[in-house]
Amino acid sequence: MAYRPSFRRTVDGESSDPDLTPIMNLMVVLIPLLLSSSEFIKIGILELNLPPAAGPMTEELGKPKEKIRTLDLAVSIIDDGFMITSSLAVLQDKKGGEGPSIPNKEDGSYDFEGLSQRLLEIKELAEGKFPDSDSIVIQANPKINYQTLVYSMDAARSIRVNNRTKALFPQVSLSAGII
Amino acid sequence: MAFIPSRIKKHQTSAGQGKLNLNSMMDMFTIILLFLLKTYSTEGQLISPSQQLTLPKSNIEKPPEVGLDLIVSKRNIIVNNELVANLDDVRNNKSGVMENGIIQPLAERLRFYAQKAKKMEVDYGVKFSGKVTIQGDIDLQYSDIMKVMRTCGLSDHPNMRLVVYRKE
Repeated sequence: MAYRPSFRRTVDGESSDPDLTPIMNLMVVLIPLLLSSSEFIKIGILELNLPPAAGPMTEELGKPKEKIRTLDLAVSIIDDGFMITSSLAVLQDKKGGEGPSIPNKEDGSYDFEGLSQRLLEIKELAEGKFPDSDSIVIQANPKINYQTLVYSMDAARSIRVNNRTKALFPQVSLSAGII
Repeated sequence: MAFIPSRIKKHQTSAGQGKLNLNSMMDMFTIILLFLLKTYSTEGQLISPSQQLTLPKSNIEKPPEVGLDLIVSKRNIIVNNELVANLDDVRNNKSGVMENGIIQPLAERLRFYAQKAKKMEVDYGVKFSGKVTIQGDIDLQYSDIMKVMRTCGLSDHPNMRLVVYRKE
């Protein structure tokens, strides 16, 4: 009796889908793992520089020599705006009167862009003329909000001009003032 | 005239009828996987922000570093997950808490950690740099932060960093 011809001989290479189950298993494990371990909120740190030790100590010790002129740029955040001061002058507001150098906007919020802009002008004037043309001291009224302080530090550190970040005074230090 | 139903076809099971088409799902998974791999950072989270506060936003690019964990939330001051002082006491200059403009319990705690770190430096050579990362709530006042920073500076932790959210 002859054997029945094998089925396999006639059914050749039927296009069957690859078995995707192991890949699916892999995906199901990998995606939750990556989801749980990825950080969507980026965290950064602001490095603080302590204000340079001022005082008569160093001057007394050294020989009387030509005094190096420093800029001593400082921004004071007060309730109605920013005061920009240096060893040479106090920056007055646009009208030339008393009051903060950069007054608040009309809705009462701080004018951080204005601050950056004025500091850019100062930076361009002071660049290379003073040894401390990279540093700035920020001081504030006791009631000033933390976020305002951080925004002011951002505004003092760099400015975006024509989609490029330009460094202004990267060495930001905080000053306590008098408590 | 109607056809007579075929007796041969009656027992034919049609292949591929009840099969699930996984192609589109695979595409989706691949895209999600690639996206997640792209956003995945190998550093991991060095600083996990505390639940009790909202950090301020900043446009700084600097990535976080490890340091002693100091949290100033709306109510409390916390060092390494230990409650150290109450912010109300600090604001009201309560005696025993605030002395000479220094937050006394915080200073003690910081000196304790500094001592431990210095011992580590002697024993194992881990350099002690006095780094402290300050996570402050967005609504804090400048005077509070100044008090905390002053205390840090006078308690062997002069390397202060403020933790912020990075704006993209």
